[in-house]
Amino acid sequence: MLTRIAGGRVIDPANGRDGAGDVWMRDGRIIEAPMDARADVTYDAAGKIVMAGAIDIHSHIAGWNVNTARLLLPEHHRAALQRPAATPLALAGWSTFETGCRYATMGFTTVVEPAVSPHYALHAHLELADTPIIDKATLAVLGNDDYLLSLLRAKASGSAIEDYVAWILDMSRSIGVKVVNAGGAAAFKENVRAFSFDDVVPSYGVSSRQIVKALQRAVNNLGVPHPLHVHCNNLGLAGNVETALTTIAAAEGLPLHLAHLQFYGYGKEGERGFSSAAARLAEAVNAAAEVTIDVGQVMFGPTVTISADVLRQFNARDQARPKKWLIFDGDGNGAGIVPYDYRRNDFYNAVQWAVGLELFLLIDNPRQVFFTTDHPNGAPFTTYPDIFALLMSRDLRAKWIADLPPAAMAVTTLASIAREYTLPEIAAMTRAAPARLFGLSDRGHLGPGAVADVAIYEDDADRARMFRVASLVFKDGELVARDGRVTRRSWGRALTVAPQRDRAVDRRMKDYYEERYGLSDEFVKVPAHALGRPQPFEFVPCRS
Amino acid sequence: MERARIAGSPVALEAAIAEAARLVAASKQALIAGLGTDVAGARAAIALARRTGAVIDHMHAESLLRALDVVRSSGVMLTTPTEVDVGADTLLLAGPILQVGQFQQHIFAPTHRDHGAIERRIFWLCPGTDAAKAPSRRSAIRPIGRTPRELPALLAALRARVAGRPVGRAAVSAKLLEETARDLKASRFGVAIWSAAELDALTVEMLCGLVDDLNATTRFSALPLLPADNLLGALQVCGWLTGFPMRTGFGRLDPHHDPWLFDGRRLVDSGEADCVIWISAYRAAAPPWRRAPPTIALTADAAGFESPPRVHIAVGTPAVDHGAVHHLPLTGTLAAVAASQPSNMISVADAISRIAAALPDDGARRC
Repeated sequence: MLTRIAGGRVIDPANGRDGAGDVWMRDGRIIEAPMDARADVTYDAAGKIVMAGAIDIHSHIAGWNVNTARLLLPEHHRAALQRPAATPLALAGWSTFETGCRYATMGFTTVVEPAVSPHYALHAHLELADTPIIDKATLAVLGNDDYLLSLLRAKASGSAIEDYVAWILDMSRSIGVKVVNAGGAAAFKENVRAFSFDDVVPSYGVSSRQIVKALQRAVNNLGVPHPLHVHCNNLGLAGNVETALTTIAAAEGLPLHLAHLQFYGYGKEGERGFSSAAARLAEAVNAAAEVTIDVGQVMFGPTVTISADVLRQFNARDQARPKKWLIFDGDGNGAGIVPYDYRRNDFYNAVQWAVGLELFLLIDNPRQVFFTTDHPNGAPFTTYPDIFALLMSRDLRAKWIADLPPAAMAVTTLASIAREYTLPEIAAMTRAAPARLFGLSDRGHLGPGAVADVAIYEDDADRARMFRVASLVFKDGELVARDGRVTRRSWGRALTVAPQRDRAVDRRMKDYYEERYGLSDEFVKVPAHALGRPQPFEFVPCRS
Repeated sequence: MERARIAGSPVALEAAIAEAARLVAASKQALIAGLGTDVAGARAAIALARRTGAVIDHMHAESLLRALDVVRSSGVMLTTPTEVDVGADTLLLAGPILQVGQFQQHIFAPTHRDHGAIERRIFWLCPGTDAAKAPSRRSAIRPIGRTPRELPALLAALRARVAGRPVGRAAVSAKLLEETARDLKASRFGVAIWSAAELDALTVEMLCGLVDDLNATTRFSALPLLPADNLLGALQVCGWLTGFPMRTGFGRLDPHHDPWLFDGRRLVDSGEADCVIWISAYRAAAPPWRRAPPTIALTADAAGFESPPRVHIAVGTPAVDHGAVHHLPLTGTLAAVAASQPSNMISVADAISRIAAALPDDGARRC
């Protein structure tokens, strides 16, 4: 079927396009405007904004941790409440079904679940297989696992580490590797309560830095497109900007992605010893072209923090709002689930809100800074439209700032920042750049050959309203949502990589599982047939 | 072997499917209970419930919801069977646990393995008659207190001593209490283990509080033992598809969770449920109620039923007759398991999908 989207303002920064024109689609792909052809279907987009489907690079939407959070917080679920609008998470959609539908109606067509413990990979993929419309991908969490730490303790070769990482990626059907508080969870198992970048995991004798560097090299050498995705040590602590700066410096010319940097943008200035250090961080990112970051913006309201940083979550459990929590001493990283309520009148929460926006506005290159709330840790993904609006309007920011504690605003630079994001910059940050960051050459743009994922918005001066409900959304060339209503429910695919490895590692892993657990390693595998969908995976090529 | 029966008489599978669909379509409030099935079966059951406004319950929901009640109202630390296996140098068993068959050999294993083998110490609070049945090395197990009835007060006293607070008379001597508190605090990685079917919510909350308190100075975590029949697998599927555990109903389109309202036994006893789909694929368990509305049984056989169910479809056992994804008690994860004796027995997922496909279109609800 030949489909034409006619006359919209097409904003496609990857192809240098911004102007009125058509977009043509056939068989699920964008095509060149055909000569002398009549479209089977034409959608009038005159006066509207046409962009590629958006890509969310870091959103906790599936897996054991997320599902446990659902079970921990029945009151956050829409159906448990008579007044759904009162709770942001109710709007986030708490089932996999709602997650897919709500992302799609906002014009998002690909979402990365960033924290899958390898033993729970099948579980995560089962949830993703039940998440409609959007495509998805997972990051495998390594860096506190006994096998890797034992390799490092034994001073194993780089290729032994690469084979192991490749095996994990293949078994868990992931698109990349994340390290969460490298070594911190392993140290916590031995009763360590604070862990920084050059601290050493007791029984293994390896530092956080060694773990991060080993994984960074392995991911790079394997040709995995997405650089190592790092959740740094010391999340949330006053003065932790030093940890982030140290980690940025440790990139040493190789690609490195730092997740939810907002949570590391804290200095120790001011009366309360807590201040924004976003300007220093942004300066460091601007000077390190090999480093990318995502923000993890905080918005006000009740939410739940879900993290594989078990040490941090353990230390934060007394701050739970409401007072309940679950700390999971799991294999490798484990996890912690701690509900939280970011309050407008809370000094610390207001500083956190400002730090996120400062990072967005002070990092110059929209291809280096990525749009996330670390859903649901900073805020549910349903708040994205409000954040786009804040980025695009200094006046709107001024209105918010006027309502927040002056003492908090005094320890940030936000009020002084004039920058306003343009629509092409929003498109670059949420479409073109994420596709490039994950090696998805046929996504995030509207050039011929691209997957026909397209979002069309009203050009509404109220940018929050505009981005909340896309006028039309196409997935693989099919209309899936119109004005906030799902019109067609497809199931999407999980994007994954399969880098080359020396198959001798398969035998080693089999022996390792037999030896350590007395179990076959079969339980770690994610076979396609187990997911109950016709083609659950799409393979993304590695660099050769 | 007969594959399908209507009112006890053998019929072709197609006829049983058609009769099941007729019963479901004619019902005002269907109940899908038992739910002893793999992930695919649970997915299919919940899809059918969503479509027909049915209620979803599980045969072990009572134990599960008691455990979840604590999770949903206080702080808990949990660990995995594999972490216990490789990391725990101390175990604190609370109440009888031997009824739960799985994982016993790991609990009573002599050593833990990471960073050199260390003799594992086992403290067993109020084991009751389990004390005489412990599998091996009885000498290495230190029983503290006797009958499970003493457990709540003993836990409270122990927690108080761990926190350094004074206690009055307890079920055991002050000296034993003192030594136990000291030994627990001296552990390197301890794990509290109990059977969710045995302890009430307040006792579990006290135990979880003790675990949290021990973390003030050392590392301690917890591992509840839950009944089988893929209870935890079904819980996970319910969680991601509805946001809730079992005892969830779809009568108002959106899933609603209410442990009392959607208790399958209550729905049957009160006459609110007028059609039951009873699923028990791991073993041929019969429903726990006597008088029931028309029942469609998806089980290995209908031997346990007092009178033959209206429809019986003999289903295969997951991971035996057909490959399956389900919860593995030894890893604590969902895993794909191949069929050990592949057969052409129909799976629960297939049976339910065929019943759903045979429903008249006007029986389908918007979702």
